[in-house]
Amino acid sequence: MAAPRIGNVLCRISNCNFTSVLLEKINYSRSSTCLLQIRHRQAFPPAAWYVKRKTTDLDENLTKENEEFLDDVMKDVYRKRLDRVFSPLEDGPWKRNEYNRYTRRTGVLAIKIGVVPQWTKEGKRFTTTMLQIIDNHVIRYTPPEKFMKSAGWKPWWGNKYGVAVVGALSTNPRIYTKEYNNLFMESGVPPKKKLTRFLITENAAVQPGTPLNAMHYRVGDVVDCSAKTKDYGFQGVVKRWGMKGMPKSHGVTKTHRRMGTTAGGKFKGGIWKGKKMPGLMGNRWRTARGLKIWRVNTKYNVLYVTGQNVPGNTHGFVRVMDTKLPLRKPAPDNPPPMPTWYPEDATEPIEEEYFDKDLFQFTEESVKFAEGKK
Amino acid sequence: MASYSRRILPCFWKTTKLLTFEDSARRVPCRYHQELLPTRNYLLPETVEEHRKSELSKHPELPPSITSENVPADFRFVYPEFLPDPQYDRRDSIRERLEREDMYRRRAVIDIPEFYVGSIMAVTVSDQYSPNKENRFVGICIDRGGVGLRAFFILRNVVDGQGIEIMYEMYNPTLQSIQVLKLEKRVDDKLYYLRDAPQEYSTFPFDMDPIPVPKGSTVPVNKMKVQLNPRPWLERWERQDLQGVEDLKLEQRFYDKAAKVAKPWEKYDLMKWYRENTNEEERDSIMQEVHQRKRLTDIEKSKRKTKLAERKR
Amino acid sequence: MNFIKCLSTYATGTRSFSTTSCLHEIRKLARMRVVDNSALGKAARLSGKPARVIHVYNKTSVGTVGDKVLVAIKGQKKRAYIVGVKQNQKPNMPKFDTNNIVLIEDNGSPTGTRITVPVPSALRKKGEFSKILSLATRFV
Repeated sequence: MAAPRIGNVLCRISNCNFTSVLLEKINYSRSSTCLLQIRHRQAFPPAAWYVKRKTTDLDENLTKENEEFLDDVMKDVYRKRLDRVFSPLEDGPWKRNEYNRYTRRTGVLAIKIGVVPQWTKEGKRFTTTMLQIIDNHVIRYTPPEKFMKSAGWKPWWGNKYGVAVVGALSTNPRIYTKEYNNLFMESGVPPKKKLTRFLITENAAVQPGTPLNAMHYRVGDVVDCSAKTKDYGFQGVVKRWGMKGMPKSHGVTKTHRRMGTTAGGKFKGGIWKGKKMPGLMGNRWRTARGLKIWRVNTKYNVLYVTGQNVPGNTHGFVRVMDTKLPLRKPAPDNPPPMPTWYPEDATEPIEEEYFDKDLFQFTEESVKFAEGKK
Repeated sequence: MASYSRRILPCFWKTTKLLTFEDSARRVPCRYHQELLPTRNYLLPETVEEHRKSELSKHPELPPSITSENVPADFRFVYPEFLPDPQYDRRDSIRERLEREDMYRRRAVIDIPEFYVGSIMAVTVSDQYSPNKENRFVGICIDRGGVGLRAFFILRNVVDGQGIEIMYEMYNPTLQSIQVLKLEKRVDDKLYYLRDAPQEYSTFPFDMDPIPVPKGSTVPVNKMKVQLNPRPWLERWERQDLQGVEDLKLEQRFYDKAAKVAKPWEKYDLMKWYRENTNEEERDSIMQEVHQRKRLTDIEKSKRKTKLAERKR
Repeated sequence: MNFIKCLSTYATGTRSFSTTSCLHEIRKLARMRVVDNSALGKAARLSGKPARVIHVYNKTSVGTVGDKVLVAIKGQKKRAYIVGVKQNQKPNMPKFDTNNIVLIEDNGSPTGTRITVPVPSALRKKGEFSKILSLATRFV
């Protein structure tokens, strides 16, 4: 819908020789010959810390057997690293600290896989979003002193927070550049498709290479889910801001979905800043706060979270973090696993599914109301 | 800001000619351009599937698809809610699997029988405001739909001269029992025209006895033709291709207008059918799984029954 | 949403526009069927001029089951409670073929002595309906 394809870039780069660009790698989609101007956001030059991800010079001259051999080598290397019991001898396991009310733990990079109805034990129906945590590892931890000197630091954070870079979806390193692959040397995990960072307090420092899964959260925990919203592209004022437009008939000429007046008044001449106008809609970071986790599936690492308002499309990346709402934080006598959950923490065998006490489990009998209950 | 004046830069695409850029403060070389403007901010379903199946991932393997079950041909019409939502963008194998798991669990507890649009059913729902905490309703199923846990059906009846319709969610835990009193099919997919028909066609006594259907027999099709009340109607029935309705006896202008508005090409539209249905292989593999789970659940239930019978003795 | 398309746009010059489906909401001037055995209700039914809602005692002026409304019936204003709507309802809630009301006096007691049609069981939730529900013959 709002997806500019490779061919659309032709419209913008006026100096490109049109014929020179029409070669094999271009999708000969309708949009490449489309005369409609598709507007998208300005591309500013990348930040100082930006590392180019995809490589442009993939070796094309490899035979099929050689490619398969390379894949096998890659899998061998990473299988050993992923299967090891996590206590790297080089570094030794890091100290695990206590949780207090100022602690910020790492979050998790999940994928929104869909929306499903659930019922409470009272028989009340509500919607839940399912978030799956696939291949999450901590890539790097930067302590606060070092973080303060880096380019990604903002002064209002002070020296409170360090940074944990978390990655999701392990991929074959061949498609990535050397610089990008080198980011993962410290942690020893395969390069990830998506990286994100979480600001964490020093007592929640996580060792690079630690896998993160659904057990990082418990049933009943409250999380904030932040993601990029659905991209609607360039939209008019009626859809974007909910303006009413004008009537379809009764003499109205050439104005049905327009803004109408823009400004007016003697007080300040001209249009005020922030005037609602047509423009690019969606594709912004938005956070849904205070979402309760009703159910955790440990086999597939799926969290069932209240509501259907987790931003973004299905299969979009979602940053899941402990909530910042003060009244929804865990009680001091029930702290979450710090800095994350490790397999050695398990005192009893891990069940495949954990349910909230108010959630109706489908293995139970039908909901019945007791005599005398109102 | 570095100026890119007069520099010949390698382009992202393979080209025979090298591209030049004018000196422009706001220009970005195309090698960054593509990366900084991703086409979509979500992954495709197949990308996610690839990652789940890859050897680098610690994702548990999905259980292998079942092929050993002897599934009858019309099985998918008995359990239509197990078939996934045909809209491709919303599909996800793990979500569908977990949803189906919940549905199997519910079906192991409560018996959701085979029914079709046109069957007469009795549903008991737990109701906290009634004296015996239960509420029983009998009616003819006029519509059935929904995918997964959202599956629903609508029952219609005329009680004391008042037409009543109730929509029930099949996997709602307040549903105590669903009993099919008369199993039959009608000639139409939906029976909303009963709202514009005389009340006799929708009246079914609450104390109706269940009519047993011998096991293994085909579902009887009731080919009755309903005579509708004179116009005005709630919908333009002449524009819908209704098989279960007698000659509407309207003036020719209605039929002419209906012909103008009709879309006779839709039945030949393969892409439309393709988009509204899941493909055959997937459908068959899901039905195999459903059949196996049903068989196992039936065995469990019969075991429980025999245990109870033994205890009574 | 239905898109009404004019097939011969060239001939008529009109364009297509969209409409929402019929929601059967109870707003002002909605025609209601009186389901108790009061004389007023019977007279209104026989005269062919049904009761019409002139005010809905609700924050949103859309009435549903259990809302109080002011109806104009046989030239006089009367309060009533809605006991059945045509509008599509949530699961387990019955939907009726007609919009039914029960007339009440100003003090809240019902005008009639019996309600002829079934009444939704969910009305038993609110205490204010106890007088009206005592007249009901059947619950759905």
